[in-house]
Amino acid sequence: MNLMNCLILAFILFGIGVWGLMRRRHLIGMLISIELMLNAANINFISFAYFSAHDSTAGALFSIFVIAVTACEMAIALAIIVTMYRRHKSLDADQLRDLHD
Amino acid sequence: MSSLLNMNIIIPDVLLLLFPFIVIGIRLFCDFRSKLPWRIANFGFIAIFVLLNFIPLASGEGRFLISNWKVDDFGVLMREVLMISAILGMWLSKDYFEHGADGKPQMHQIAEFIGAIAFATFGGVTVVSACDLLTFFLGLEIATIPMYALTAWNKKDQLGSEAATKYILMGSVATAFELFGFSYLYGFAGSLHFSEIQQAVAAGTSPLLWLAVLFLFCGIGFKLTLFPFYTWAPDVYEGAPTPVTAVLSVTSKATAIAFLVVLVFGPLAPVQEQIAPFIALLAGTTLFVGNLGALKQSRLRRFMAYSSIAQAGYIMVALLGPATMAKTAIIYYLFVYAVSNYLAFFVFGIIGHHREETFASLRGLSKQNPGIAIALAISMFSLAGIPPLAGFFGKFHLFFSGASTGHYAIVAFAVLNNVLALFYYLQLIKSAWVDEPDGHLTPLRLTKRQRSVIITLSIAVVIIGVLPFLSNNIFAGFNY
Repeated sequence: MNLMNCLILAFILFGIGVWGLMRRRHLIGMLISIELMLNAANINFISFAYFSAHDSTAGALFSIFVIAVTACEMAIALAIIVTMYRRHKSLDADQLRDLHD
Repeated sequence: MSSLLNMNIIIPDVLLLLFPFIVIGIRLFCDFRSKLPWRIANFGFIAIFVLLNFIPLASGEGRFLISNWKVDDFGVLMREVLMISAILGMWLSKDYFEHGADGKPQMHQIAEFIGAIAFATFGGVTVVSACDLLTFFLGLEIATIPMYALTAWNKKDQLGSEAATKYILMGSVATAFELFGFSYLYGFAGSLHFSEIQQAVAAGTSPLLWLAVLFLFCGIGFKLTLFPFYTWAPDVYEGAPTPVTAVLSVTSKATAIAFLVVLVFGPLAPVQEQIAPFIALLAGTTLFVGNLGALKQSRLRRFMAYSSIAQAGYIMVALLGPATMAKTAIIYYLFVYAVSNYLAFFVFGIIGHHREETFASLRGLSKQNPGIAIALAISMFSLAGIPPLAGFFGKFHLFFSGASTGHYAIVAFAVLNNVLALFYYLQLIKSAWVDEPDGHLTPLRLTKRQRSVIITLSIAVVIIGVLPFLSNNIFAGFNY
């Protein structure tokens, strides 16, 4: 268990998030993928804070703030998705086709 | 005592933070139809703007509060741009709460709407005041999250909720990229504070730093609609209610630019020369793609989206220059851009009241209502950068800043692209001035507010360009 392992874990998680975002067509699935990406960044912060940084409190605090901000963001995202569901009766991202060139 | 004196300069910031709570709170205790929240919102925004103007410029390094809140010249002027945008956005939105427009139903809850705009403005203020990555990140989020809600404000409008869904998915991905970049930057420097990061960057680079820069530019690329990441912008600008589109294209763009300025001339200043080719590439592709996209549009808000993508490219050119010159040019251009853009959106708002917001609805405007047609022409010429108007001087300073460090290729490319841009801005003017209407035109009605704002903004666009002493205030602050 060293810094490199943690960074690789975070990078893989981020990659899974990006892959999921492109593959998933369900809006909730896409939100979960985004959540994975954000948490990968959190792992980075915490592992840097634990292993290398000379200001280690800051990194740990940052991840707590990120969790709070993400909660706000997801609350808004779910609210918007609920209004969209009421109109479209579907959560399929491919249905989002009314706006185009 | 000195700390007490220092507190004066954050009074506008504190008021701006309290402002949405006050407006929304008053709305709770008022009658449904009461005009009180609207009046207080007007008074509050204007009072904050006036207070900002009392903060003296030319204070060197800027003043620090609680070691994490910096008020410097760039910050004060950015605050003024953001407040102008908030005030004009509020005035533009008022009519949309009284009647439907552009085939969309009427909106509701004006107090909360204004509160959301104020929160977004406060986010922008936080970005320009930040001295460490955490405040910086929080500011960017406070600026973005209200925008998602504003885009979906019209719950009865299907396009609005679709636009908001696209916006929040893209915006969250951008946030994730930024955070990843921040985490690598923190890992590289071992600290969150800008000055310590700057020292670490100056001491030597490593692959970790370049990875961080890459992720940060990807993240901010989404928010600033830079080349590979701009695809959400036309959809969101078209689907959102018109006043929200206006606020998005000014406030959120100004915040994103401020983010880049703080980053490039703050923690990343020692490596600015190394990332310059990267910035030039992003700027060039962005303005080219924006201009190409705008050529074939027929709907006004989509057209403005591509136009604002191109403008983001022009502003990026200034980032190549030395710090003070780039900051001055960017601030000046943001003032000009805000005024010209809002002028265009006020005209679109009047047209959209009775007709669809398309190029075809502009036909015959010059015969029916020459005043509005002149205002539209002034704003388009200013956005295109025609000499006597403010837009020309704004673009001149942007390009001058880029050229002063010897990036002639990108500046030449940008100037050539400006010719392309002139073509589509002229097309819009052509439909207002030359094209004959197809049949009967519905009469346009202006409220007193719309008339006075359009006249003021038109005069402002002309005067800022012709009377340079107005802008000297901005330049004086930087000893330039």
